[in-house]
Amino acid sequence: MAGEAVDELRERLEAYVGKPMGPPAVAPDAVNVPMIRHWVDALDDRNPVYLDEAFAATTRFGGIVAPPAMLQTWTMARPKIEGIAERGGAPDEMEFDNPILPLDEAGYVGTLATNSELEFVRYLRPGDQLHLTTEVESISNRKTTALGQGYFVTWVTTYMDAEGEVVGRQLFRILKFDPSTIGATR
Amino acid sequence: MTRGEANFPRSTEIAVGDELPPFELAVTPTVIVAGAIASRDFMPAHHDREFARGQGAPDMFMNILTTNGYVSRFVTDWAGPEAMIRKIAIRLGAPAIPGQPLRFSGRVAEKREAQDECVIELAVRAANELGDHATGTVVVTLPRA
Repeated sequence: MAGEAVDELRERLEAYVGKPMGPPAVAPDAVNVPMIRHWVDALDDRNPVYLDEAFAATTRFGGIVAPPAMLQTWTMARPKIEGIAERGGAPDEMEFDNPILPLDEAGYVGTLATNSELEFVRYLRPGDQLHLTTEVESISNRKTTALGQGYFVTWVTTYMDAEGEVVGRQLFRILKFDPSTIGATR
Repeated sequence: MTRGEANFPRSTEIAVGDELPPFELAVTPTVIVAGAIASRDFMPAHHDREFARGQGAPDMFMNILTTNGYVSRFVTDWAGPEAMIRKIAIRLGAPAIPGQPLRFSGRVAEKREAQDECVIELAVRAANELGDHATGTVVVTLPRA
């Protein structure tokens, strides 16, 4: 097929498919009203089901629920601010063996997020304690893109409550590209 | 803060092809930083212009969690507090940067009745002068009217 190729690096990347993208993570705090309020004010989202307990009780939710798009927020790693720019924005120094490392080493140092697909199984309520697992869903063959040659890496994060019930999922896809190959024909 | 239900469409009043009321977000550094920190995303590209430019971006830019948050708000501002968002699937494009208003538009692409819910699929778009920032599909349910 034009614009893509199977190669030695791609074969090595195959070993990561179906494996975790990162370690399992536990939310540092349960879903809580102060963080909901912070979000609601930051985005000026005045949907009353997020903060107005009396009103929310009259809706099908039966009480306050967290804004669904906060799903990722609850489990974000606690950042180490010192040195965060030098780490390229990574919240901490932990390295996990995932397909990004061999791609970076091979010169595919550029990163572009291309797709996000959030699925909400149920809305979260204050007190929900989340944890997550990740899995590499797929890695494309090498593609020629407007940014240069690269590989699309897709992973799925599964969010669960304290009982282990799935509350939501996110599929995330990035392009790892080699900026030096921009305009290359193969 | 509480709004009357009268302003929101009943599921029976929603038809394929309906347009959502457009929404324009004035993107400023404050909007970007407020969203990034509320979502606990401390990546410098979302609060530090020099860092972002050093990485090849035109300016500091909105993080994806905030984009999803505004897409969610855009939909529930129309659908109302009984709406439940089931899915936000977006393709990411041009960055949302200060000084470039982000214009949200949406259209009812599909509607079907489930057991006790009405399932509505929306085609949504958020664009600025650089192009499409996010395009995709939001699935939202409403109780059957």
